[in-house]
Amino acid sequence: MSDKPLILCADDDPDILALLALRLEGAGFRVAQAVDGEQALALTRELQPSVVVLDVMMPRLMGIEVVEAIRADPATHDLRVILVSARAQQSDVEVGLTAGADAYLAKPFQASELIELVQSLLGPR
Amino acid sequence: MALPTRTSSAFLAGGAVAIAVYFLLGFDGKAVWYVVIGLASVAAIFIGARRLERGRTAWYLFGAGVFVSVAADAVSGFYEVHLDREPPVPSSADVLYLAGYPLIIAGIFLLLREIGVHASRIAVLDSVIVFVAVATVQWVFFVEPYAHSSLKPLPRAVGISYPTMDMLMLVALAQLLLAMGLRIVAYRLLIVSVLLWVIGDEIFGLSVDNYSAGGWVDIFWLGSYVAWGAAALDSSAAHAPPRDRRSVPRLTIRRLALLAGALLTPPVALVIEHEWPKHEIHPISLAIGGTLLALLVVVRFAGLVRAVEGARAAEREANERLRQLDRLKDEFVSTISHELRTPLTSITGYVELVRERADPESRGYLDIVERNAARLLVLVNDLLFVARIQSGQLELDLGGTVEVGALVAESVATARPHAASGNVALRFSDGARPVRVRGDRRRLAQVIDNLISNAIKFSPEGGAVDLNLERRNGIVVLEVADQGIGIAESEHEQLFERFFRARSALDRHIPGTGLGLYISKAIVEAHGGRIEARSVEGEGSAFVIELPVEQ
Repeated sequence: MSDKPLILCADDDPDILALLALRLEGAGFRVAQAVDGEQALALTRELQPSVVVLDVMMPRLMGIEVVEAIRADPATHDLRVILVSARAQQSDVEVGLTAGADAYLAKPFQASELIELVQSLLGPR
Repeated sequence: MALPTRTSSAFLAGGAVAIAVYFLLGFDGKAVWYVVIGLASVAAIFIGARRLERGRTAWYLFGAGVFVSVAADAVSGFYEVHLDREPPVPSSADVLYLAGYPLIIAGIFLLLREIGVHASRIAVLDSVIVFVAVATVQWVFFVEPYAHSSLKPLPRAVGISYPTMDMLMLVALAQLLLAMGLRIVAYRLLIVSVLLWVIGDEIFGLSVDNYSAGGWVDIFWLGSYVAWGAAALDSSAAHAPPRDRRSVPRLTIRRLALLAGALLTPPVALVIEHEWPKHEIHPISLAIGGTLLALLVVVRFAGLVRAVEGARAAEREANERLRQLDRLKDEFVSTISHELRTPLTSITGYVELVRERADPESRGYLDIVERNAARLLVLVNDLLFVARIQSGQLELDLGGTVEVGALVAESVATARPHAASGNVALRFSDGARPVRVRGDRRRLAQVIDNLISNAIKFSPEGGAVDLNLERRNGIVVLEVADQGIGIAESEHEQLFERFFRARSALDRHIPGTGLGLYISKAIVEAHGGRIEARSVEGEGSAFVIELPVEQ
């Protein structure tokens, strides 16, 4: 059980958070959930997940700020981060990648897109 | 030009005849007839004023002023006819005459206030310029000769009072000219009355010694009385002239002429003095008047420049506000599209989830949900895209190199199932390979997808869509032609406007938002290319994209 990679999902929309968890668990991952940016950052530090899936528009701490905090902290610096957002203009994507995200996934997404993205990030560096 | 109404014209005509008769009469008859014409005019003014619903007081003041003046005429006439001499200075006639002016001037200013005279700083300045010009003329030609004369104080004061009153009349007249709609007959007649009155006074003033009662100058005063009566009788006296509602008065020809005339008074006075030296005008007075005018013009000029600068600043502010509104709108659309996409994420995500576990029948229904959610998503994306085009924030990655043939082939392959479902043949002939353009691959694909999907959408069952790629002199030309319903010639120009939908499409209930071609045009033009449509209604349409080949 513990050899399954842990994925931390953060989204303030409970339906989407549940969908992310369902899909990732269905693909064989362990999933932790956070409902806002602060919680996401705290759980990232505590659990050191393999991949962090972050919604961009979240209360308390925006996804972008969480990414920056993750990258600024040596303890979490090397974690994989995916930003997910309904704001997916080219400029939004650029902002996200510049902040340090490894990938940017536009909402609405297909399950296969999400899972392939996570798997590709878990592959050999 | 409107003509005076019947009563007014009848009065004018009668007045003209009466004046003609006046000059045929003997000395005694003249004195009486003069007063008769005057009283008839006073009666006309009061009769006219009574019908008015507004501005009545001003016309009553005119009536009173003219009446007092006619009474003075009667006193003078009495002296000349019965005592056989001119009235002394001052006489009760002078008291009456001088009492008439303030009434009339007050009437004019009251009327001006009621019809709304322009009260801006510049308008006031214009009035002051006219006032100074008139005052200068009155002073050097009419007042100064009295001031320096050997008359006793009282007669001297009376002598000075007339040109002073005329000066006020002239200023009031200038205001009338500036403020009133000259097309209104009553006001035109009123202006004529005041003008005739002042001309009579000025001619009299220039040649007091040569004047004899019953002389030709009387035609001006009598004419003034008659015109005044006609003005009051004219039905247009009830109309308010159009107001000038600008912050700065309009520089009409009238206003310019008046200002130019005002500025020309000192040199003209000098010329008059030079040609007819008998007036002995004082150069210092003229110099003071001219200097004042020059200073006022400088102030007026500064006011104008400041007004222009103010208008510019206001314009800049308005532009800034518009830009801000634009940003707000953009922000709004962006937020809305985010808010729409978030629930769509749940809808499509859970439908996809359920669909995987559903029986075939339910799966068919869920396909419908999925298809419509996808359609909604496309619409949301298109609207966001349009908002970006509108606010000039179209984001394109123009740095890439795109092989057009491959791109078209991809789009054709993607569209095949759609074409097949409508039994439409999709044919692509690549006569340009390979040809590269610089640009945003994803956006160019969006354009080609849009044109192909339109062509299929408007094709009849069993029709064909032909794509033809060519290279001509540094330009790559892609034509997408269908055999569909076509577009009316009259609509070709509007075709690329946002939300425009062709009549033929609406009539057939073919779905669409009218955004595709608008977006396509924006993308193609952002690539330095152009897009155009050729179509014959009922025979089909062809859309042609031209893009510059990468050098």
